[in-house]
Amino acid sequence: MNGPFPGLAELAPLAPEIALGLLGCLLLVVGVLGRGPSHRLAASLALGAVGVAALCLALVAGRFTGGQVVLAGSFVLDRFALFWKALVLLATAFAVVVSVRFVAEGRYRPGEYYALLLLAGTGMLLMASGHNLLVLWISLELMALSSYVLAGYFREERRSQEAALKYFVLGAVSSGILLYGISLVYGSLGTLRLDEMAAAAAAPGAAASRLLAIGWILLLSGLLFKVAAVPFHVWTPDVYTGAPTPVTAFLAAGSKAISFALLARIFVQGLPALAGEWQLLLAVVSAVTMVWGNLAALTQRNVKRMLAYSSIAHAGYILLGLLAINRVGSWALLFYLLSYLFVTFGVFAVVIVLERREYAGETYEDYAGLARRAPFLAACLLVFLLALTGIPPTGGFVGKLYLFGAAVQAGWGWLAVVGVLMSALSLYYYFRLVVWMYQREATDATPVPLAARSLVGVIAVCAVMTLVLGILPGPFVALTQAAALPVP
Amino acid sequence: MFEWVHGLPILSLIAYVPLVGAAILLLLDGGRPALLRRFATGVALFDFFLSVPLWFAFDREGPLFQFVEDVPWIEAIGVRYQFGVDGIALLLVLLTTLLGVLAFLSSWSAIREREKEYYAFMLLLQTGMLGVFMAMDFFLFYVFWEVMLVPMYFLIGIWGGPRKLYAAIKFFLYTLAGSVLMLLGILALYFFNGEGLLGWQGLGNPASFSVLQFHEIASRIPPDLQFWIFLAFFVGFAIKVPMFPFHTWLPDAHVEAPTAGSVILAGVLLKMGTYGFVRFSLPILPEATVRLLPWMAGLAIIGILYGGLVAMAQKDMKKLVAYSSVSHLGFVMLGVFALNPAGLKGGVLQMINHGLSTGALFLLVGIVYERRHTRMIADYGGISKVMPVFATIFLIITLSSIGLPALNGFIGEFTILVGAFNRVWWWAVLAGLGIVLGAAYMLWMYQRVFFGPITHAENRELADLGRRELAYLLPLVLLCFWIGLYPRPFFAVLEKPVAYVAARVDPAFAVDVPADVASPDAGAEGEALQ
Repeated sequence: MNGPFPGLAELAPLAPEIALGLLGCLLLVVGVLGRGPSHRLAASLALGAVGVAALCLALVAGRFTGGQVVLAGSFVLDRFALFWKALVLLATAFAVVVSVRFVAEGRYRPGEYYALLLLAGTGMLLMASGHNLLVLWISLELMALSSYVLAGYFREERRSQEAALKYFVLGAVSSGILLYGISLVYGSLGTLRLDEMAAAAAAPGAAASRLLAIGWILLLSGLLFKVAAVPFHVWTPDVYTGAPTPVTAFLAAGSKAISFALLARIFVQGLPALAGEWQLLLAVVSAVTMVWGNLAALTQRNVKRMLAYSSIAHAGYILLGLLAINRVGSWALLFYLLSYLFVTFGVFAVVIVLERREYAGETYEDYAGLARRAPFLAACLLVFLLALTGIPPTGGFVGKLYLFGAAVQAGWGWLAVVGVLMSALSLYYYFRLVVWMYQREATDATPVPLAARSLVGVIAVCAVMTLVLGILPGPFVALTQAAALPVP
Repeated sequence: MFEWVHGLPILSLIAYVPLVGAAILLLLDGGRPALLRRFATGVALFDFFLSVPLWFAFDREGPLFQFVEDVPWIEAIGVRYQFGVDGIALLLVLLTTLLGVLAFLSSWSAIREREKEYYAFMLLLQTGMLGVFMAMDFFLFYVFWEVMLVPMYFLIGIWGGPRKLYAAIKFFLYTLAGSVLMLLGILALYFFNGEGLLGWQGLGNPASFSVLQFHEIASRIPPDLQFWIFLAFFVGFAIKVPMFPFHTWLPDAHVEAPTAGSVILAGVLLKMGTYGFVRFSLPILPEATVRLLPWMAGLAIIGILYGGLVAMAQKDMKKLVAYSSVSHLGFVMLGVFALNPAGLKGGVLQMINHGLSTGALFLLVGIVYERRHTRMIADYGGISKVMPVFATIFLIITLSSIGLPALNGFIGEFTILVGAFNRVWWWAVLAGLGIVLGAAYMLWMYQRVFFGPITHAENRELADLGRRELAYLLPLVLLCFWIGLYPRPFFAVLEKPVAYVAARVDPAFAVDVPADVASPDAGAEGEALQ
């Protein structure tokens, strides 16, 4: 802690981030040298990097479990952080694997694509353990900037460009808002450290500060943009449809999950004194998000767009966990996002398999007769759709059960009623896909080639995990309970 | 002779044999439909034979729930894997396994495409339904309750009639909307038992979803909380029953479903709603039950009369039978909400009766439909001349359905009326009108289909019942007579659970069970349970 440069030993807790970041940069450099590595090599290198980071994480997890705050209060290593880091690495690994075929077929350089994925992953890892608003903002930006580029990765496709531009412009605005909110919070509380913030906000009179109120509302708005909650959701459908599908999956599962972690970290740990106020605001946002996301999803004709709106709706459900950040809500949030990770990657992996050209697999018609053409894919997709609807025996059911349970327990009965009715309604648009798969004849009877074995592997793993989380959730519930953010 | 079943996890075996069967079925060669059919039917038959010993090994004098299996499932949140049956569940389990076999047999000729998936879904459905009746843990119950919707959705949606897509999603959406609200009710109970919720102080018990635990705390649930939970349960169960005004999914689902689907739907699925009321709403929420009694009875009576009147106007036989179900289940609900042992006993027995006779009616309609591909009453007439055996069985079932003495329907309806009369006399009077209506629409249909001259030339060539068809109809006819002539064994099984439920909801029955409806020792048992 002496001098501006901390010793190497002090950096040890950041080993996973450092490993992933350095290897990402290395891949970037290798990627532009000459003709660059082959796509296969690049993917293997990226997977290797994730593996190294995972190894570091395991070592770190063994040494730091007590919630140490390190590096002048910038980082915290508690079980909550470790849980999210593991989740992020899993998401990154999945993203690499589902990208393989798309990168192989594309005319773009593989090295930089995977490097950007790794850098986004690094940002997410840092977000998991940030304990200082500025650090959190910088790591969020690292993730966001990498995602903007990834969303526009189909440089020659107009929709991809449009997606990237929209994402970038709106994202930049939201980052600005976020930063402004941070500065106002800093101005009124005099600190950026979450623990000091909590203490300062709890001081008598602090809660009445109008500056602080504007500050946290702006802060909240910036984060709600990242999790795609109404009214900050407008970018989602366009970006989800325009971005390459593996990137969409990464955004929907990884980026969304970690943004929720951030939201929980800042508001539950930093501003518990104002819980009454921000929870009220979140309750309204959650209700509007659930209703709007589901109603809009009903009318979609494009599968990726439908999934985008469904992901908005899910943001609404997940917010319930934050509202009820009592004993159940604290871990229901984690459990739900864990199961959501598998479900989302599974669904998008199926879309990717069906993509023949860059934008196929998007209309409902593309799924006609899938039960005949590829029974395995259809069965897996059925499992994912059941999980999204929240029907047992899937992880989606257990997750929703506890989110709604948490809401009921914490006194948000009306929200829970809205939530369950909306999730019953969601059956209609999810099952529209099932109707096409199982109840309509295929327009072309050619069997879907299960070409990319790695993709099919991801789908199988996700389907199995979705079922395991539904049938034997015990160990995972225990895990998330242990990792839950301590509620003050 | 059947003692061996106590040494086995017999309920789990019964519940999962169809599931395992479905898994094996998927491995079989899809190009050999005969093999698939035989195998699936064999599995169902095996399951039935596995369940029969329960009837003999069940100790009528023994504890309320028997063959109990109880292991922790999700320990972190207090969910247990708890199976067990009381007399009510026992009868429903047997009904399920029996109707399962018959439904499989009836599918042999009716289902001609995608047989592998069909039989797999049917087997899956069996597992779901059996689990619902066996579960003693509310979480487990809910899992089965919902899991079962998926195969049923596909059965209607793939092998159904022309409007199958609409009917299937309507069925699924309706039921799901009801179940998720019920789920909130379950959660409210769970939290009240534990840490408390909303403004209510919890009881601080260890986390549990056990139904018996909820029965235990029933008297300590504050009335307003009971009221809300009752409403949540009500929506879930009433849609399933279906009670007026939640019945609109039923005619669509029935008309579009394949024969076997209709049989299972009417025979077993609808019973889950009434079973839910008896098992959960009444004993867990006694105060709310009594408070809402007039509404419940009112809806039941409206259902009886409305179902009957609408049935009268139907031109389609299947639709007629579907609306008759609304009426019959109104009877069941009336019996249940008479809240006395007679009414409850009659209600539960009528669930079985309805399963048998309506199941049989759907099978019968399916038989002529296979021959003529129409279900319109106007397309028939005079076919008793060409199908005498069919006409006879149809007549027996019709009479059973309208409650002719010596057949099962009479016993059930009569007992229900006794119960209803004891509660509020004019309920019984109004319900009695329903019986008259029932006789009118059923006999009128019978007359138009079977008597008179043969008006359509195609009908002259109709073949009478084949051996397979006889094989799946006769067991039902026999059971109708058995219950009609000698219902004692059935009442004996129901004695205890019914006394238990009645005592829970109305303490008057804990000490003084009316002598006319209970065996001498029922009163003592009620006391012990209290």
